[in-house]
Amino acid sequence: MWGKQNAYWVTNMMETDVTVIGGGPAGLAAALKASENAQVILLERGRELGGILPQCIHQGFGNFVFKKMLTGPEFSQYFIDKVRQSDIVVKTETTVLEIDKNKRIIATNSAEGILEIQTKAIVLSMGCRERTRSQILVPGTRPAGVYTAGTSQRLINIDGIMPGKKFVILGSGDVGLIMARRFILEGGEVEGVYEIMPQPGGLTRNIVQCLDDYNIPLFLSHTVTDIVGRKRVEGVTVAKVDESMKPLVGTERFIPCDCLVLAVGLIPENELSKQIGLDMDGRTDGPVVDERMETSVSGIFACGNVVHVHDLVDDVAVVAEIAGEHAAKYVRENLERRGKIRTVAGENVGYVVPQFLRGKELDSVTLYFRVLSEKRGATVIISCGEKTIFERKEKIVKPPEMVKVILSREVLNALVQNELRVDVRGGK
Amino acid sequence: MSDGGILRKVDKVIRKKRFENIDVKVEDSVVYLNGKVSSWDDFVEIGSLIGAIKNIRGVVNRLEYPGEIRRERKKGNREKSGEADVVIIGGGVTGCSIARELSKYKVKVILVEKEDDVACGATKANNAMVHSGIGEKVGTLKQKLCVKGHFMYGELAKELNVPFKRCGMLIILTKDSLSKLKIPQFLANFIAKRIIPFIVVRRGKKIGIPIKLVDREELMEKERYVTERALAAVSSPSYGVICPYFFTIALAENATDNGVEFMLDTEVVDVTVENDGVKSVVTTKGTIDTRFVINAAGLYADEVAEMAGAREYTIHPKKGATLLFDKELGNYINRSMSLLRFPRAEHYKGGGIMVTVDSNIQWGPTIAECPEKEDTSVTAEDIEKIFESYTPLLPDFPKKSVITYFAGIRASTFTEDFFIEASKKVKGFIHVAGIQSPGLAAAPAVADMVVDILKNEGLTLKQRESFNPYRDKTTIFRDLDIKEKKRLIEKNPRYGKIMCRCEQVTEGEIVDAIHSKLPALSVDAIKRRTRAGMGRCQGGFCLPHVVEILSRETGIPIEKIQKNGKGSNLFVGKAKCLLGDKHDGN
Ligand SMILES: Cc1cc2nc3c(=O)[nH]c(=O)nc-3n(C[C@H](O)[C@H](O)[C@H](O)COP(=O)(O)OP(=O)(O)OC[C@H]3O[C@@H](n4cnc5c(N)ncnc54)[C@H](O)[C@@H]3O)c2cc1C
Ligand SMILES: Cc1cc2nc3c(=O)[nH]c(=O)nc-3n(C[C@H](O)[C@H](O)[C@H](O)COP(=O)(O)OP(=O)(O)OC[C@H]3O[C@@H](n4cnc5c(N)ncnc54)[C@H](O)[C@@H]3O)c2cc1C
Repeated sequence: MWGKQNAYWVTNMMETDVTVIGGGPAGLAAALKASENAQVILLERGRELGGILPQCIHQGFGNFVFKKMLTGPEFSQYFIDKVRQSDIVVKTETTVLEIDKNKRIIATNSAEGILEIQTKAIVLSMGCRERTRSQILVPGTRPAGVYTAGTSQRLINIDGIMPGKKFVILGSGDVGLIMARRFILEGGEVEGVYEIMPQPGGLTRNIVQCLDDYNIPLFLSHTVTDIVGRKRVEGVTVAKVDESMKPLVGTERFIPCDCLVLAVGLIPENELSKQIGLDMDGRTDGPVVDERMETSVSGIFACGNVVHVHDLVDDVAVVAEIAGEHAAKYVRENLERRGKIRTVAGENVGYVVPQFLRGKELDSVTLYFRVLSEKRGATVIISCGEKTIFERKEKIVKPPEMVKVILSREVLNALVQNELRVDVRGGK
Repeated sequence: MSDGGILRKVDKVIRKKRFENIDVKVEDSVVYLNGKVSSWDDFVEIGSLIGAIKNIRGVVNRLEYPGEIRRERKKGNREKSGEADVVIIGGGVTGCSIARELSKYKVKVILVEKEDDVACGATKANNAMVHSGIGEKVGTLKQKLCVKGHFMYGELAKELNVPFKRCGMLIILTKDSLSKLKIPQFLANFIAKRIIPFIVVRRGKKIGIPIKLVDREELMEKERYVTERALAAVSSPSYGVICPYFFTIALAENATDNGVEFMLDTEVVDVTVENDGVKSVVTTKGTIDTRFVINAAGLYADEVAEMAGAREYTIHPKKGATLLFDKELGNYINRSMSLLRFPRAEHYKGGGIMVTVDSNIQWGPTIAECPEKEDTSVTAEDIEKIFESYTPLLPDFPKKSVITYFAGIRASTFTEDFFIEASKKVKGFIHVAGIQSPGLAAAPAVADMVVDILKNEGLTLKQRESFNPYRDKTTIFRDLDIKEKKRLIEKNPRYGKIMCRCEQVTEGEIVDAIHSKLPALSVDAIKRRTRAGMGRCQGGFCLPHVVEILSRETGIPIEKIQKNGKGSNLFVGKAKCLLGDKHDGN
C-alpha cells in the first residue's frame, strides 16, 4: 500500500520523534514525559482529552500521585493543562487506522483528512473496552435497556440522559459499583448487584461507599439467567450458582426492571497492537512489555490499560512516565537490549507485568501482578532458580487489587538465571 | 386425490394417534381442523402428521390448546388513505423482492410493513446462506425456487451494489456421520466415503446444480482446521453468502427509486372483500383501495389470510438460534461447511459453519418448535446445543470469541413447503406463505413467480421504460483504499470522523443512512445499514454518538430515540428527570 504512489497523493505527511496514541491518563503522562526530550504528537479519537476520566465524576483518583482524593476530571485536567502548555502537537477527534512495523501511522480526522505520520517511536495507550453481555453468554432477548456500566456512566455524566428507572446490575466490577450509587443519586432504583464469583470484583472501598452506604444488596455467587422483554427490558431472571458457576435449578427469581447494567470486566483495546504484529500475552490480553514498557517491536512502547487493566489511575501515571521517558531515549540513542529475563506467574498468580526485563537504565523495577484467589496472611515470594530474592507477608490479597513489588537494581544485577518467578504462597 | 380420499386418510391418522373431539373438514385439498387438544405439542404433532399426507395443499389447524396466546387485532383506520394496483403486506426479503420486481412495470405498488424498517422479521435473523438447493427435498416448490433463485444472485447483487460471495459449501462426511445407524465402524466409514458422496453428486445433477467430490487430502489441505475424523466431502460451489438485511434494504431502496411506496410502522389489520374479490387493505394508518393483495407477512401470513377469509394454512413457528464470532477469526475457514449426518432430522438441513460477507464466522442455526411468534430469545440450552452440534467439525475453534447471538423464527406451514398461489376463495389475494428456509436464496425466483401469478390473475403489466435496475453504491469507508478515503474526506469532512471504532464507521455514513431513500430512524436501522454497533464492543462505544447524530439530523429529542421502533425507547429521559418526579410527588 505504501510504495511509490505516496509521492503524489499524500499531502498531510508529518514527521516526528514520538507519537502517542490515545489521550487518556496513560497517553497524557507518557506524552508529557517524552516531550522533555523529544518532539511529540498526541492523537486522541475523542472530542476531549482525558480518556475515561472525564466521565468518572466520583472522587478516588490521585491518592498516590497528588496525595489527595480528586475526581476523574480534576485528575485528568492537571495533565491536560500541562500538555496544553507544552509544545506537544495534540490532535483530537483523530482516529488511528493503522500502523506498520516501520512506524508509519495512518490516522483520520475531519479537518485534515488522512494523516500520515512517520515517527521514530510510538507509545500505545489506547485504554480498554468493556466486556459485553454476549461475551459472557447471558441468555435471553436483545431489547433496549441493556448497557455496560461505562456506557451508562457516559450517558448520565456526559450526555445527560437517564438510561432507565429500575436497575439490576450484573457483575461487581468497580464501574458497576460506582454506577449503582449514581443511579440512586439520579433518582433511580437499584434492585441489587449480582456477582457470579464468591467474592466481589471491585475494590473494598467501593463496596462500602457505593453499596453499603446506600443499602444496595450484593448477591455473591449469583448470575442473570434470562433477559425478558421484546422491545425494552421488562425484567431479568437471576439464580444462584454452584462452585462450577452453573445456575442452580430452583433458585431462579424473576425481577421486574427496565434496565440491566453489566460490569463484567474490561478488555485491553489492542486492535492496533495485533495489526502491527506485537507479541501478546493471553492472560492480560495486552502486548508483552519489558520494564521500560517496550513491546516486542523495538521503539514501540505501551502503557496503561492497553497493557493490562489497572484499578488505580496512579499506577497508570507512573508506568506511562516510564514509557514516555524511554520512547524519547530510544529516539536519541536506541535502547540497549541485554539478556532477557522472563517473569513467570507461579502459585496463585494470574499474570505478571512486565513480562520480561532486559534493560539496565532503571534503578528499580516494579512488578505488577494479580492473585487468582483471595487469601489472608499469604506470602509473596519472588525467586530466581533456587534462590529467593524477595519475600513479603500480606495481610490480605484479592484478585481485584493489584499487588506491587519493587526490586532494586542491585538485586536484579545479582541474578544468575533468566527467570523470575512470582508465587503467593499459603494464607487462608 | 379427491377431498373424500384425503378425509379418509386424515381420519386414519387421528384415530391411530387416539386424538379425540377433532372435527375435520376438507375443501380444495386443504384440511381444516377444529376442536381441542391437550397441549401445544399435540397441536404440532397432529398438524405435522396430517401435513405429511401426500397431495394435501394445506392444513388449517384451529385446534385450541391450553396456554394458547391469542392476539387482539389492532384497531384500524378505516379512512381512505390511498389506492394502488397492488398492496404487498410484509417488508421482508420476500415482500421487498416482489416490490422490486413489480417496479419494472407500470403499476402502482404500496408495500406495508408493521415494523419501523424493512428486514425486521426472519430476514434479519437468518444464516445469510444463498443455498444451492442440494439440501432440499427433491420436487418441492422450495427446492425448485431455491435452485432458480440462487443462480440469480450474482446479477442482482451487481445491480443493487451489495456484497455477495459465491463462496461454495462443503458437505463433510466424518467417521461419525452414520453413528446413529449403529452399524460397524468399517461399514459406516465405507458408506460415508464411497457411497454417500456419489448419491449427493447424482442428486445435484438431477436438480441442475454443480456438485464436486472432494477427497480427504484435498479437504485437509484447503481447510486445515477441519476435524481429523473427516473422511470425505462434497462441495457445492454455487453456494453463496450475502448480508440478508443489507440486500433487502437495497431491494427496497431500488424499488423506492422506481416508484414503489413504502409505508413503514404501519400494520395491516383487515382486508375487505367485495363480490369475492379483494377491495381494500385496512391499516393502522388508513385504508388503501386495491384489487390485488400479496400476502408476504411471514409468521403472520395465516392471520392476514384469515382477515381476508382466505386462510388455507397455519403457521407453526420454528426457532433457530445462531452464534456469531469475532471477525478476527474470519480466515479460520475458507468455505461454508456442514456436517452430514445420516439419517437426517426431518425438515432441517442441520445448519453449519459459515463466514458472512463481513468476515464473521457463524455457527447455527438450531431448530425447535416455538409457540410464540415473537419469542426470539436465545436460551442457555440453545447456546450449549450449538457448541455441541458444530464442535465436532472444528474441534479447536476458539469459542470464547463470541460477539453476539440471535434467534430467528421460521414461518413453516404443516406441509413444510412454500405456499405460493392465488387464493381460490378470494380473487386478487395472493398467498406467498410458508417461506421458511431457503426463503432467502429463493427470494428472486419467488418474485418472478408472483409476477407470473399476477399476470394470470388479470393484472396488466406493461414494462416501464424508465426502470433503473441500478442502485448507487453506499459509501463504505472501511472498504476504500487510502487514496479514495482521502478524496472522500475532502469532499465531506464528516467521513473523516470515526464513530464506530470496531467496524470503522464514520459520521458521514451514519448521516447518509439517516437521509437515505428509506430513512433509518432508529439505532438498529442505522446499524443494519452501516454496521455501527455490530462489532466486538456491540455498540458500547458508538451508541452515544449514533444517538446524538440521529437526534441532530432528525430533530427527535435524544431521550426519545428508539432502538427498533415503538416501545424500544433507549432512555427514560434527561438526567435528573426521575428526581423531578419525586419532587412533584408523582
Ligand atoms: C468507571 C471507572 C471508574 C474508575 N475509578 C477509578 C478510581 O476511582 N480511582 C482510580 O485511581 N482509577 C479509577 N479507574 C481506573 C482508571 O481510570 C484507568 O486505569 C485509566 O483511565 C486508564 O487510563 P488509560 O489512559 O490507559 O485508558 P483510557 O482512559 O481508557 O484512555 C485511552 C484513550 O485512548 C483513546 N484511543 C483508543 N484507541 C485510539 C485510536 N485508535 N486512535 C486514537 N485514540 C484512541 C481513547 O479514546 C481514550 O481516550 C476507573 C476506571 C473506570 C472505567
Ligand atoms: C434461523 C433461520 C435461519 C435461516 N437461514 C437461511 C439461510 O441461510 N438461507 C436461506 O435462504 N434462508 C434461510 N432462512 C429462511 C429465511 O430467513 C426466510 O425464509 C426469509 O427471511 C423469509 O422472508 P419473508 O420476507 O417471507 O419473511 P419475514 O422476513 O419474516 O418478513 C415478513 C414481514 O411481514 C411483516 N408483517 C407481518 N404481519 C404484518 C401485518 N399485519 N402488517 C404489516 N406487516 C406485517 C413482518 O413485520 C415482517 O417484516 C432462515 C430462517 C431462520 C429463521
